[in-house]
Amino acid sequence: MGRKANWSEKPKSGPGRKARKQPAPSFPGMIGSGPGGGGGGISKHRKKKQFGGPGGKKRSSYPQNDGRKLKPGQPYRKSNESKKSSKPIDKKVTRNVRDASDSEEDEEEKQVMGSNSEGDEGMSDNEPTMETGSGSEDGSDDEAMQDDFSGSDGEAPDSGLEDGDQNGDGQKDEDKDDKLTKWHKLANINGSSDDADKIDFPEGQEPTFDVQVVVDRIKDVISTLLDFKTRREEGRSRSEYISLLTSDLCQYYGYNEYLMERIMQVFPLGELQDALDAADAPRPMTIRTNTLKCRRRELAQALIARGVNLDPVGKWSKVGLVVYSSQVPVGATPEYLAGHYMIQGAASFLPVMALGPQENERILDMCAAPGGKSTHIAALMKNTGTLLANEFNKDRAKALIGNFHRMGVKNSVICSYDGRKLPEVMKGFDRVLLDAPCSGSGVISKDSSTKTQRDAIDIQRTNTKQKELIMAAIDCLDATSQTGGYLVYSTCSILPEENEEVVALALRKRNVKLVPTGLDFGTPGFVNFQGKRFHPTMNLTRRFYPHSHNMDGFFVAKFKKFSNSNPVVKVDDEEEEEAEGSGEQE
Amino acid sequence: MEVESSSSDEPRSIAVEKAIEVDIDPGNLLVSDSNEISRLQLNSNPAEYLKELTRSNTQLLINRIFTLPFHRVDDVIVAELPKPTYVLPRSKPAPKARPLSKWESYAKEKGIVKKKKSRLVWDEMVKKWVPRFGYRRAEAEHAKDWLIEVPQHADPYEDQFEKKSEEKSERVAKNELQRLRNLAKAKKVVVPAAKGLTSKVKQSKEELLTAAHTANKATASLGKFQPKVGKLKPLKGTGKKRQFEPLINNQEKAKNLSVLDKIMNKKPKIDVESVVSKSVGSGNLKRKGQGQDNYGDDEDGGQRRGGRRGKQMGTKNSKIKKGPAKKGSFKKGRASPRSGPKKKKN
Amino acid sequence: MRPLTEEETRLFFEKLAKYIGENIKVLIDRPDGPFCFRLHKERVYYVSEEIMKKAGNISRDNLVCLGTCLGKFTKTKKFRLHITALDYMAPYAQAKMWLKPNAEQQFLYGHNVMKSGLGRISENTVKYSGVVVYSMNDIPLGFGTAAKSTTECRHTDPGTIVCFHQADIGEYIRSEDTLT
Repeated sequence: MGRKANWSEKPKSGPGRKARKQPAPSFPGMIGSGPGGGGGGISKHRKKKQFGGPGGKKRSSYPQNDGRKLKPGQPYRKSNESKKSSKPIDKKVTRNVRDASDSEEDEEEKQVMGSNSEGDEGMSDNEPTMETGSGSEDGSDDEAMQDDFSGSDGEAPDSGLEDGDQNGDGQKDEDKDDKLTKWHKLANINGSSDDADKIDFPEGQEPTFDVQVVVDRIKDVISTLLDFKTRREEGRSRSEYISLLTSDLCQYYGYNEYLMERIMQVFPLGELQDALDAADAPRPMTIRTNTLKCRRRELAQALIARGVNLDPVGKWSKVGLVVYSSQVPVGATPEYLAGHYMIQGAASFLPVMALGPQENERILDMCAAPGGKSTHIAALMKNTGTLLANEFNKDRAKALIGNFHRMGVKNSVICSYDGRKLPEVMKGFDRVLLDAPCSGSGVISKDSSTKTQRDAIDIQRTNTKQKELIMAAIDCLDATSQTGGYLVYSTCSILPEENEEVVALALRKRNVKLVPTGLDFGTPGFVNFQGKRFHPTMNLTRRFYPHSHNMDGFFVAKFKKFSNSNPVVKVDDEEEEEAEGSGEQE
Repeated sequence: MEVESSSSDEPRSIAVEKAIEVDIDPGNLLVSDSNEISRLQLNSNPAEYLKELTRSNTQLLINRIFTLPFHRVDDVIVAELPKPTYVLPRSKPAPKARPLSKWESYAKEKGIVKKKKSRLVWDEMVKKWVPRFGYRRAEAEHAKDWLIEVPQHADPYEDQFEKKSEEKSERVAKNELQRLRNLAKAKKVVVPAAKGLTSKVKQSKEELLTAAHTANKATASLGKFQPKVGKLKPLKGTGKKRQFEPLINNQEKAKNLSVLDKIMNKKPKIDVESVVSKSVGSGNLKRKGQGQDNYGDDEDGGQRRGGRRGKQMGTKNSKIKKGPAKKGSFKKGRASPRSGPKKKKN
Repeated sequence: MRPLTEEETRLFFEKLAKYIGENIKVLIDRPDGPFCFRLHKERVYYVSEEIMKKAGNISRDNLVCLGTCLGKFTKTKKFRLHITALDYMAPYAQAKMWLKPNAEQQFLYGHNVMKSGLGRISENTVKYSGVVVYSMNDIPLGFGTAAKSTTECRHTDPGTIVCFHQADIGEYIRSEDTLT
């Protein structure tokens, strides 16, 4: 089969083939003597980007509200080569959408990849990427930069650009001179005589509409914050920098303030941009073989015969296949209709793998629609035991019926209760899966309205529901079950309020404990967050991010119930003393 | 309880000191003392302390009573208590509002508002202002109906005056019935339904049927000994409720199998197609008009047994029709070559 | 949820017997545990008894589906088999038809099967009996009614319909609502 899709590791790629074609240009009159000089904290390449050379990097203006920088379908971590090859696919679009900062991103990426190890799993260090990378890779920077304005020959056939336009922003090179003077002016405005990286704090409330300024400012602020002591501007507090960064990021990516603040709390500054970029790009399509009806190998052969380009998803799953491209609609092949596979995001495999359903068990899925996870559970149970699939919304429950019948699930009962009332209906389950309704902050690529619509009230409401649901789920479990007593709580969100906090509440109020999920990849959950301290076992939960694991943002926690009774709520110490005191008096 | 004789004590002063003013409600003879109770004293000497408290509060009350206006009634000085200010809670729950009558709820739903009607109405005929209701209305009406015209298509021998008064009494009765119904509904009194018996002008077939049934049943023994009045058709929707098997049923398997057997027995067991195809394959069946040589081929004689007309087997009309041959399939008098001489099915 | 009455069972079995004939016995009397038929909101469900007992806890309004839905009774008490019953019909079918790849698409869109699309047909298929339709890879595609018996199929011209469409797996996408 084709290239294997590697979920956890991505090979580093250095500068592309074309980057090495020409030597670095020298601009005797420009870089050295321009604003910023040779000193200062700002790197040479930074200045080049800002002030450029003749026909240097253009800052093309493009529609303001398009926060996307990447083409849809492009995985975030891409090597230069693949990017170059992807250009011919969609020339027109890329010219408009892609901007100069794209290649900036590339370079930054290179630096990131160069300086970081391949540890995508542990995004622990925030290495200040700008500085370390820049010094060593100036040469490569220059080479990469040359792509934009080099001579016509080597580039044109591959880059697919028109003649006279070498850096892909749709404008003829002759216009570059005009832009150049404009840049000089900008440069003058931006910096004073000595400090090149002085960030222009907008005094007024009007947002800047020049996206390039915003982009650059973002980078500057991040680099400043990463090395705050040395780079800070006098008289500006850290919070001012952070608020500026927040507003810039909101403007650039199209989020609302509340959500952006939350995201900034979750990710360290070094990863922040990676995470935001990856959140916008959609994840590759994956399908899950239905082991009740066929085997992965046979299915793969059948689909390849129909013209689908696919690969096994990796060694972490025996039933997953990732689809790169297809001549036929994947959701309408006869194999799909016969129930041989199900289209599911890769992240959706994880809660069921963590749950580990076994044959002849009683299992409950509290929020089952549209049925991907439930059918997976049934497949693992091999149609034995009992699977109770519950979905509150009656219309979505209908989708459940269709999927269950199609996939040949025979041991199921579908009901439509409010999950919080389920313990009154039936108890004593061996395993329970709760894929709670959430804000969807991990699956922004599927629904970009999440970026703007989620605010504090929304999240508060879903939060209350999640807490009630998890309590009900724990009540449905049977601690004395021989094979189980496990609950898996999962959400497609990265916000700790919906994840770690709910888990912490469950640990406090019920006799449950966290156990390892059984998933060997994934970031451990937060034990401390924003000053809040969670239970020390919180690191047994797992978080998944688009930029590190190439799947939707996800959270999985596995509990084991060790006692069917509920713990007594502890009385406060003061109350106890008072009670004692009054007793003595009498 | 020891009663301490107050006569032994010296009369104490009527002045009482309180940290916070007590709230006296002379109408109820109530004193509400909101001063803090000293726990120390309460724990050490409760009876004494409480007695002191009570005494001082009562003193205050009596002081207040003496300030009230008084008057003499038969050598007795009586003080007039003012109206009580302290509201005592209800001893029984508050009565619920009367539920809306049928018309009231309908009017509310539709938004119909009562319009006040004037008392006097100009009447053209009499050329006077006539009251619309109440005193002297009947008089005015009488003035008008000294003569009633017989309408065109009415029966000439019908008494119109009678008719009018009958209609009026019916209206009155109807109103009374509705009032009583509203009352019964409000008080939740169960009134047996007189289905179909309340007269409407035009009753449908079902209503008349229901009325007949109700009338039939309306005897002391609930219609058991009623003589049969013609053919009383049974009512739809009454009768015993269907009984279903319980959810967990041990005999289910056996029942299902028996039903299956019945079905299977109905279907013909011989597979005619297979036999036909075998015969066709083996080439024994001759073409039309080539002789009748096909009897011995069937192993079990099923072809004959199943029916005469091979063509009709396996079609929708799998039931073999007895009777005349298919019209027009072959000439009259001439036997079909396949079937040979007609054999009647035994 | 309630068991079927005798009358309902008879109607249901008669319909089912058109496709699988005597093999209904295998459905009633299974080696791996007792299965039963239950009626809920006019639909017939086929489910194992233990699961049925558990589902007894669920109230009528909240119960959506139980095991496998085989079909439903219409308002006039006729029984209609749904495509969801295919899993139980396919292994026990008495008459089968295999379709060529180009005809698969047509059948999955709900059209009838022409002789030109017919790859194979099982022997001794009675005319107007129920057939289960497969693709050449032995994937069950749906079921229908044989318009022509096997022998007739051999001798007709390619344009004639050999199988009337009753239900196909394309309905999972085309008409999800009727499955409810």
